[in-house]
Amino acid sequence: MSHLSEDQLDEIIDRERTRELAPLNEWRTIAARAREEGLLRESQSARVWGSAQPWLQAAAAVLILIGGITIGRSTSALPSSASLTAAASAPTVPAPDAPVSAAVTPVSASFTSVDDAAATLDRAVREYQRASQFLAANNSAPGTIDSVSIYAARVAALDKIQAATERALQTAPHDPVISQYYLATMGARVATEQMVARPVALKGF
Amino acid sequence: MFQETSTASMVTKYESEMPIDQLDLKRAISGDERALQRLWSQHAPHIDAVVRRLCGDAELAADISQEVWMQIFRALPSYRGDSQFGTWAHRIAVNRTLNALRKIRRLAKLEVDIEDDSAVTEMDSDRTFVAESIEQAMGRLSPGARAVFVLHDIEGYTHGEIGEELGITAGGSKSQLFKARAKLRKLLAHLVDDSPTVAGKGKGHVASV
Repeated sequence: MSHLSEDQLDEIIDRERTRELAPLNEWRTIAARAREEGLLRESQSARVWGSAQPWLQAAAAVLILIGGITIGRSTSALPSSASLTAAASAPTVPAPDAPVSAAVTPVSASFTSVDDAAATLDRAVREYQRASQFLAANNSAPGTIDSVSIYAARVAALDKIQAATERALQTAPHDPVISQYYLATMGARVATEQMVARPVALKGF
Repeated sequence: MFQETSTASMVTKYESEMPIDQLDLKRAISGDERALQRLWSQHAPHIDAVVRRLCGDAELAADISQEVWMQIFRALPSYRGDSQFGTWAHRIAVNRTLNALRKIRRLAKLEVDIEDDSAVTEMDSDRTFVAESIEQAMGRLSPGARAVFVLHDIEGYTHGEIGEELGITAGGSKSQLFKARAKLRKLLAHLVDDSPTVAGKGKGHVASV
């Protein structure tokens, strides 16, 4: 048997050097090991749910519920800028047309502590809920014939808001204001989507 | 043949092809799964290739690769960005792989191999073995010779660097490389026996694994 020349071997080595090889393991295998060792955690946007403080989690849960209720109830009054604004706004910022109690602290107020701010937030959520119930009970204007297109436009707008807040959360995962906007937007989007999927509901309720 | 190419030059080329997003890196350091996955996806082809070539055995390499990546993830918080991430991770991969191989005693006789001509001990089996790729051929090298060959000719380490990694002298590294290349030239000779250039007949064989 003959031998390769040194140059011929170098040629083969050059080719080997640049050859791409598939990873030896799948990511899920690596991830499972890393998770066992506590080296890996869920991505930041998903982690917002788990790492938020209890009061924030509670507020977020209420927000999603209220967002859904408000959006759903306000379908009878499309287009209702008041309810839309309320759904997409942070809970500490009352909707301009909503009958919000004066007990809610203005957003410009200064808080003496985190607990103070959290208590204010709780009050705002309760007021928000009451305002939503009031709207649902008293605002019975008929929907427009363009309800579906309006809902679709709303979903598109909410998608953009959700994408923007998601990006913001990548940078500031623990920011409570961004988190609340994000969660409220998610809740509003789910509710709107449900309304689009239920044409009967567009006519009346 | 034995020119002293530096590790930095080769890895720098590799880095320039795969820029690391600094924000992604920060997220990975904090343990973010998506960021870690992106980091792995980007570097696994190169890192795993180093492990595989050093091991000479795909199954063993897969096990060691897991350890390598765990070590990279564990060490991420200590990564200061003084060197390119690929260079840093590559160094961990080489060290971890060589340590693992030592542990399973595949390199236990490395020093002895340098004194002995390992090519001679396998001469009989080599007569009937025809490598279809350089990877297969590398698998026929002794662990020590394979390590020196991979680190020098594939990864671009200098003999001094190899000596430090393997605990041998630069001269010992050169000796091992000479034997490794001689054996590879013989094992891969059939790739060019019937054609004037390697790129002809050999291309398909070398590309296949």
